[in-house]
Amino acid sequence: MGQTPQKWPGVELSNDDLVNKKVTQTRYHPKAKYSWSAGEAISRFLNELKEGRLIGRECKHCKKILFPPRMFCEQCFKPTSKWVYIKDTGTIQTYSISYLDKDAKRITEPIYVGVVSIDGAAEKMGIMHYFGEVTKDTIHIGMKVKAKWKPPLERTGSILDIEYFRPLREGEQ
Amino acid sequence: MTFAEKTTDHRKLRRWEGNIEADYYYTSGLAGERFFTELKKSGKILATHCPKCDLTYLPPRMYCEICLAELKDWKEVPATGRVEAFTVARLDEEGREIKQPQVWALIKFPGVHGGFVHQVAAPEEKVKRGLEVRPRLKPQPLRTGEITDIEAFEPTGQ
Repeated sequence: MGQTPQKWPGVELSNDDLVNKKVTQTRYHPKAKYSWSAGEAISRFLNELKEGRLIGRECKHCKKILFPPRMFCEQCFKPTSKWVYIKDTGTIQTYSISYLDKDAKRITEPIYVGVVSIDGAAEKMGIMHYFGEVTKDTIHIGMKVKAKWKPPLERTGSILDIEYFRPLREGEQ
Repeated sequence: MTFAEKTTDHRKLRRWEGNIEADYYYTSGLAGERFFTELKKSGKILATHCPKCDLTYLPPRMYCEICLAELKDWKEVPATGRVEAFTVARLDEEGREIKQPQVWALIKFPGVHGGFVHQVAAPEEKVKRGLEVRPRLKPQPLRTGEITDIEAFEPTGQ
């Protein structure tokens, strides 16, 4: 087979040709704005975070508390029955130790991230969050953890109103 | 029951707002480059012609759509065209009402395949299919080599 062409047929354009309009062109900035609703259950969940509380929804048919809350039970598909406040302690279900940050830059101090199931809510159901005050040697599946909340005035009704989950201390509820 | 306690106060609903950045620079290509450069420089509207198929393309094409031959025969389109079809816009791109409704038309030129979709500078009640129009260009120093160098098509009064 032939060699890869070093130069392709046609006219190559440089960045300068484009940016300084050396060639005729059409420029367009689409106004692609969106507003994505959190929905009924997650809206309430986020608003409660601002108050420093975790809330779930109970399915009376399956006798379990769904957390994060859902307006429909994912097991029996019936509408869930009522709102229930739950504790801010839980168990690490799975975790990852990341030496890459959110922009995939290499970092020396790792980020601990994983799924935590909340005490009182359905088992094996939980939220993803950061873990803090742990090391790569102490973090483990099954570790009991508690939410580390931001100070009330800094809370915005975001999942990051919880800074991270930290190990449950002795004697703590 | 879920439905009875449905949120009716939208202020309690949370949302994420964003803006998808999808900006682009779209270059005119070889035929488009010549077309726009000429429009800017001399105000001429050029088309390409296929002698074999006897077709004149506007906007100009590099290749004939029928026989696929490269087109090297450039010629000016006739000075006047006619409204082939039109619509009246009463809302802008974002759905806001426009005070002065705009007439947008497909303009075709005799013996030319293709045409322009452009604004017609005439009140809507004066525009009908077959109306003879001619391009109204921006003064040369203000032209940028874009389709908006043609401000609008205006009736010739014929």
